[in-house]
Amino acid sequence: MDLRLEMTQARCSDLAATSSFYRLVYSEIEECGWERLIWLSDDLSCLSFRIMDKKKRGHILEIRLDKSYPSCPPSIAADVPHIFNLKWSTNSRLKDVLRQFSEHLEKLQGFWDSLENIDKCLSVVGLEQQSHANSYRQINIGNDCCLILNIDANDPRSLPECRFMGSDHLVNSFRNKWRRNNKKWSKDQPLSVNLAIILETRLPGPRDAERDDQKFECGICYAQFLPTDEGFGDKSGCRTDYTCENANCGRAFHSICVGEWLQSITTTRRSYDFLFGNCPYCSEPVSVRINTKCE
Amino acid sequence: MTSSAANSNRSLSKIATKRLQKELVEWQVNPPAGFKRKVSDNLQRWIIEVNGAPGTLYENERFELQVDFPEQYPMEAPQVIFLHSAPLHPHIYSNGHICLDILYDSWSPAMTVSSVCISILSMLSSSTVKQQPEDNDRYVKNCRNGRSPKETRWWFHDDKV
Repeated sequence: MDLRLEMTQARCSDLAATSSFYRLVYSEIEECGWERLIWLSDDLSCLSFRIMDKKKRGHILEIRLDKSYPSCPPSIAADVPHIFNLKWSTNSRLKDVLRQFSEHLEKLQGFWDSLENIDKCLSVVGLEQQSHANSYRQINIGNDCCLILNIDANDPRSLPECRFMGSDHLVNSFRNKWRRNNKKWSKDQPLSVNLAIILETRLPGPRDAERDDQKFECGICYAQFLPTDEGFGDKSGCRTDYTCENANCGRAFHSICVGEWLQSITTTRRSYDFLFGNCPYCSEPVSVRINTKCE
Repeated sequence: MTSSAANSNRSLSKIATKRLQKELVEWQVNPPAGFKRKVSDNLQRWIIEVNGAPGTLYENERFELQVDFPEQYPMEAPQVIFLHSAPLHPHIYSNGHICLDILYDSWSPAMTVSSVCISILSMLSSSTVKQQPEDNDRYVKNCRNGRSPKETRWWFHDDKV
């Protein structure tokens, strides 16, 4: 048993001697197993347990005990798409909460399997920050287009709710395919396969995204390509063409965007055609040439 | 996109529109904790609900932020104000104006609606007193003609709260 846990247990044991509420909580944690407890508030009214599901995904269950516990059921929160209705009677104990939570987790296995399939096979945006509660996935489908899926936690293999984002032309074409083909959706196929069939295209994998994201997207306008607009002169519709020289930053930009930003603040210095300022991300010096013909 | 005569803002540039669409998607997928954007088709004005963080002076209180994006966003900062009624806070005026450097001089296009929201919540959370700014009445009176907080010459003399 690690030291932190031992100290928590000792503190809790001291308190247990002082009131019946503390004594009750102590004995109920004992039943659940101290090794599953990861946090306990000083007054023993808030507890967090870590519960493993069958597929070894870890989940945190937060429990709050009212002073009138156990006549009043505890309130619970967890990283799940929806919480379960706690069945509570006067004989119920914390271990019953944990058991009901574990049962709830088992019902959600299909949901997490579907999401794992998406995360493994497709190019998902912001994958690092996903919680188990999140039923949405934003998926790059190429050409600056993305698809937002909302997986139904109760029926994870069914046709998900979907929205497309991107240029009107591409979005319309994808929407039409979705409408035309959505009857081909099959609950027996993995979600990534279904999507490829419905959208009639090979979708980018997770690797493709790494190349795509920060290296090619402008840190100011968030697009890979500038809009086509006469005002941008020969840079109209161009890719990012400037990279912050600080090796630890290396953000990509359109020189037009950096130029516009530098021109909009008062600390920028100008010498001939060049603007000197700082990278909006790392604050290291940057300089860009501005298109004098446009002025 | 056409802007109505009543709307003093000029409509968003192409760059601003594209960037805001991406920020909106990111927000929908991964909203900052404690915030909820009211559903609306208006990309140029976001109304965002803020819940005071647990364990702070504003616990269980709910406020509303109004975020207006200028035509040249993100080269220019969004205008962010609290709608009625604004939290009682030494840096928030009773007309909803917020004295926070990143909304004005220290804005950078590396920031996002989401990061601004988090900064505002952190400003609320670190407050130790619930009181109006000392110069509240004078300031609010000066703004009666509907002046935007972005036209104020702010002094950021205190970074403790």
